Amino acid sequence: MLQKKICMLGSFAVGKTSLVRRFVESIYSDVYQTTVGVKIDKKNVRVNEKEVSLVLWDIYGEDDYQKMRWTYLRGASGYLLVADGTRKATLEKAVSLEQKVREEAGGIPFVLVINKSDLIRDWELDAALESQLAGQGWSILRSSAKTGEGVEESFSLLTQKMLG
Amino acid sequence: MGSAPRHSREPLEFRPKMAETPPTRPAPGPDEPPLEPDAQAYLELRQLILAPEQEALERLHQRVDDPASRTEDVGSVVAEAIQLRRKQGGDEALSVALAPTIETALRESVRKDPATLADALFPVMGPAIRRSILETLRSFLESFNQVLDQSLSVKGLKWRIEALRTGRSFTEVALLHSLVFRVEQVFLIHKKTGLPIGHAVASAVAMQDPSLVSGMLSAIQDFVRDSFQASQGQGINRMNVGDLDVWIEEGPYAILACVIRGIAPRELRDRMAEVLENVHREYSVQLDEFDGDTAPFTRVREELSRCLEHRYKEETRAKSFGFVYASAAIIFVVVGGWLGWRAVQYGRWDRLVNTLREQPGFVITSSGREHGKFVVRGMRDPLAADPAQFIKGSDVNAADGEFHWGGYYALDDRIVEQRAKAILSPPATAILAVNSGVLRVSGAASANWVRDVQSKATLVPGIRSVELSPELDPGRLAFNQARSQIESAVVKFPVASAALSPAESQSLRNLAGNIEALVQAADSLHKRVTLEVLGHTDSTGAEAANLDLSQRRADRVAWELGQLGIPERVLRARGVGTTNPLRTEDNEENRQFNRSATFRVSAPVP
Repeated sequence: MLQKKICMLGSFAVGKTSLVRRFVESIYSDVYQTTVGVKIDKKNVRVNEKEVSLVLWDIYGEDDYQKMRWTYLRGASGYLLVADGTRKATLEKAVSLEQKVREEAGGIPFVLVINKSDLIRDWELDAALESQLAGQGWSILRSSAKTGEGVEESFSLLTQKMLG
Repeated sequence: MGSAPRHSREPLEFRPKMAETPPTRPAPGPDEPPLEPDAQAYLELRQLILAPEQEALERLHQRVDDPASRTEDVGSVVAEAIQLRRKQGGDEALSVALAPTIETALRESVRKDPATLADALFPVMGPAIRRSILETLRSFLESFNQVLDQSLSVKGLKWRIEALRTGRSFTEVALLHSLVFRVEQVFLIHKKTGLPIGHAVASAVAMQDPSLVSGMLSAIQDFVRDSFQASQGQGINRMNVGDLDVWIEEGPYAILACVIRGIAPRELRDRMAEVLENVHREYSVQLDEFDGDTAPFTRVREELSRCLEHRYKEETRAKSFGFVYASAAIIFVVVGGWLGWRAVQYGRWDRLVNTLREQPGFVITSSGREHGKFVVRGMRDPLAADPAQFIKGSDVNAADGEFHWGGYYALDDRIVEQRAKAILSPPATAILAVNSGVLRVSGAASANWVRDVQSKATLVPGIRSVELSPELDPGRLAFNQARSQIESAVVKFPVASAALSPAESQSLRNLAGNIEALVQAADSLHKRVTLEVLGHTDSTGAEAANLDLSQRRADRVAWELGQLGIPERVLRARGVGTTNPLRTEDNEENRQFNRSATFRVSAPVP
């Protein structure tokens, strides 16, 4: 059995936990996140004919990432960088988080997920920044934890990238 | 199902076939007029331009019309088509569509040759059957255990209550209590990723997903290390949750965590260290290069299983029975003591009740404990003895008892005798005795009283009849009474005279009544009575004269009595002179007594 540790990173209230909840059935309550700072879930996915067990570390999002427990990132094979399409700042935050991760854990695979696509009318996304990031080779997906759009795809894409 | 190579069929694409089929104009038939050169050219041009499409169309028609080639076409894409359908989310419709065909196919296969399907299923049948048997056995054993465990030991009851309270099965509770310790799960966790490398679990232990538990364990480990700025290698090595203990051993690449129920011995820690060392030695390269693939660690489970130790309480039975025996003994002593004390109390009261029961004038209708008191109910004759004197004489506590008496007339001889004495007021000389309802009267008593007794005695409750002793016979009593009165009478005469003074005549008349009564009494007694009248003189004068005088005096009285109606047959008159003086003549008064007549009653016994 192939297992991969992946982390969920992103600003506060961008919908990381909702994405995970959309994706898995969990045994731990959300309280863990605010107490221990992380909540762990698991999902088996099949990518390229391969069964992969994803162990998701949903790390409590604080806008001040100095306070984040970076140790939780240790050993991760990849991560989902989550931003909120309705808040431009969260995308900027995602960019700086990516830099920070590169410093802490090296260049590990990641996918930028821009969440809340169901509220696309309210989006204040910086299209220029998005295309600039895409130009840098970032994998960017739009998702909605509410409708489920792009959720499975995000995890599948990340898994594909991790498996190389 | 193998899929045919996609491009094995004839290509459909358009392809000019000029080389094989040059665009030759067909030769004109014999009856056809030769064409104009322009028309000829047009035909050739048309041929040149359109012939390939026509041929392609022709081939297409052929393919569509020919079932063999259609089958070929569909066969080459059927696998992909099914896959596509599944991706489109039509799984269920596909299953519904295919199910009847597959069922028929299976039936047909079995009909043709059961061996084929049996061979194919062989590898899965064994495990399936084993699992089914295990499930059945497990549920059977559980219910068997339940029946077996119905035994009413104190501990069993306690466990049953706990099982009810906690919602766990009784078997589980019993197992947990008879356990000293048991390692329920062993996790080998990759230190860097927090991913589980290996996991071993004891039988019948409810477990969570090892990936999640491993992740959370390492997250907590990190959390604690971060929070207290501990260095790598330092961390939690023990966690305690209720009766669960988690022991953690850390190696360079991996963490070994044992989930223990109960209190494990120190040696388990050594065993954990040993196992962790073995794992590190055997898999050092794999651990270092671990990328989430557990395939190289398939054999690590055996090593981990060495930590799955357990120990049960051996003395459970003895202990539990000791407790049961001790409890039983205490209960026995307490209950026995109480019963004994009660029996003693009851015994005393019972003895008292029996004493009362034997007493005349008591009837006990019920006796026993009511509202903590010993209550005696019954009837008591007013003349019966006071119960208080019996209580005083016994060893019961009077305050513990209560008496309820109803009144009644007892027929016991002693009580009846007392009642008779109270009602009949006998003279001190009379003796009363009751025997079986018969009142016997003896001693001395007046005739009047005896008559009273005769008329009243049977009105006394309990007396049926009266028996008088012979001396109290009314006839005899009357006879004796009359006799004593007659014999005490003295008729006095003047000196030397046989004449009666008027006073003496009167007393003689009174005496005559007594004599009549005497005669009647004698008659009733069938006795012949004789009344002898004796004449007396004083000693003065000559003896012969005195004798004559005394005879005259006797005759005179007898004659008087005869005059008063006394029959002559009972009267005898005899002068005794001075031979039978009444008194010594030492003075005149006494001498007067000797000048008299007296009476003697003689009644020979019939």
